[in-house]
Amino acid sequence: MKDFMMIFIGADYQELGLSPEELQNRMGKWFAWGQKMETQGILKGGEALTPNIKRVIGQDRAVSDGPFADSKEIIGGYYTVSAESAEAVVEIAQDYPDYDLGGTVEIREIMVFDN
Amino acid sequence: MEQKIVDHLFRHHYGKMVAILTRYFGLAHIETIEDAVQDSFIKATLQWRKQIPEYPEAWLTKVAKNRTIDLLRSIKAEKNRNEENLDSGFSEEINELFLDHEIEDSQLRMIFVACHPKLKPNEQISFALKTISGFSTKEIAAALLSKEDTITKRLRRARQSIVKNKLQFEFPAPNEVKERLVSVMHVIYLTFNEGFHSTNTKQLIREDLCGEALRLCKLLLKKEKLRTGSLYALFALLCFHASRLKTKTNISNEIVDIREQDRSKWFLPLIQMGHSAMNKAMEFDEVSIYHYEAAIAAEHIKAKTFENTNWSNILKLYQNLQQLQPNNLNLLNIASVKLQLNKLEAALKILKSLDEVDLGQRAYLYFGCYAEYYEQSGEIMLAISNLEKAIAKTTNGLEITYLQKKMEKLQDSSKS
Repeated sequence: MKDFMMIFIGADYQELGLSPEELQNRMGKWFAWGQKMETQGILKGGEALTPNIKRVIGQDRAVSDGPFADSKEIIGGYYTVSAESAEAVVEIAQDYPDYDLGGTVEIREIMVFDN
Repeated sequence: MEQKIVDHLFRHHYGKMVAILTRYFGLAHIETIEDAVQDSFIKATLQWRKQIPEYPEAWLTKVAKNRTIDLLRSIKAEKNRNEENLDSGFSEEINELFLDHEIEDSQLRMIFVACHPKLKPNEQISFALKTISGFSTKEIAAALLSKEDTITKRLRRARQSIVKNKLQFEFPAPNEVKERLVSVMHVIYLTFNEGFHSTNTKQLIREDLCGEALRLCKLLLKKEKLRTGSLYALFALLCFHASRLKTKTNISNEIVDIREQDRSKWFLPLIQMGHSAMNKAMEFDEVSIYHYEAAIAAEHIKAKTFENTNWSNILKLYQNLQQLQPNNLNLLNIASVKLQLNKLEAALKILKSLDEVDLGQRAYLYFGCYAEYYEQSGEIMLAISNLEKAIAKTTNGLEITYLQKKMEKLQDSSKS
């Protein structure tokens, strides 16, 4: 088994002006997905990120609060899961609830170092 | 673990929180308040992905209270309160506002604000759906068959007139309550009708709109000083109609005529609620259009089959309604009831007195009624050509399919 990170990009709820009803529905889907992975014992961890971004850039360590690239490229959160292969994670990522809002899931394998 | 959040919790909680916060901070801050409440739901949505709190509503309320405190800090200068107040008397005052009956009280105030005469009728309904019922602009646009832009503008104008006219978050003065209640009932009635009659929108939105109208009506009825015969009659009307909602379209989302609706599926608890509201309405010494409309709906519900409908009663009720508030749609309904009673000449006379332009968007009903008249008179070709006119007058896809099917039936019968 390997560990992978599913990084969620775009589909910022705040920006999209979703109604309370839609928020509740989406929350239900996220919860169901999380539960599913939990029962399968593959969910390792994860966090949601606020859209407030600070970047420290370049030689002179300039600090910038943005705005950066448009919201479609902002990372909203991540999950770490364990799976056989990246293809298996693609399968897991089918349940990500926000594709219809233009969201993207980026799958990255977590590097393992030999001792 | 099962999903344990009640349906529409967020939507209903939104209306509650906005009302409470507005009561505390005043209508001038309504936009800030709505944004803050929206924020708390986004927060919940993210946090609850992993773990839904044991008492979701209490959790939301706590977040809303905290938002209130945050807001208070930022609005404090305007409100002229000092830090000292914030720490001592404040939390008690806030807690008061979060008591159930105070929440209801705040929501009622909001309903009356939404129906303030300074707001235009189309602003009233949009504002009510947004602020009281927690619909998004997109959802309102879908419900009212308008563009999102139009709704955004209406909402902006509504907020502007609230601020410009310095509207207060209060119940109307005792001598104004009655009049304001008339427009409150009208907004509820329109909201319901949008859900009940506009077959163009999705089933889900239709049910939501009807549900909201019922909920608001119920909320008003809880308050003793607001109870009137008309309000009970309106509630009865909504219950009777709502009981048939699920049978109005079939699984393929096609319109099902009241003739063919499965009467065994009409929802009994709502019918019973309607009857008891109607009895209450009768205890008051007043008559309104809602009384007659509810009585008409009750007649339809009473009939075991379409053929058993008591059309003479319905005719009398429509005539009374027409006397109370004359309009062309009523006349058209009277004509079609006369057709059911086989009074073809009388029906034709009414139809001739009407003009399609008098009926605006409902012109297709006028031609539909003509078609029915010709069908009964055995003039199938004329019936068909009137159905064609009816089809030309509606843009509603479901209505078109319905009328086309009717036309095909007639065409088949004319061939055989």
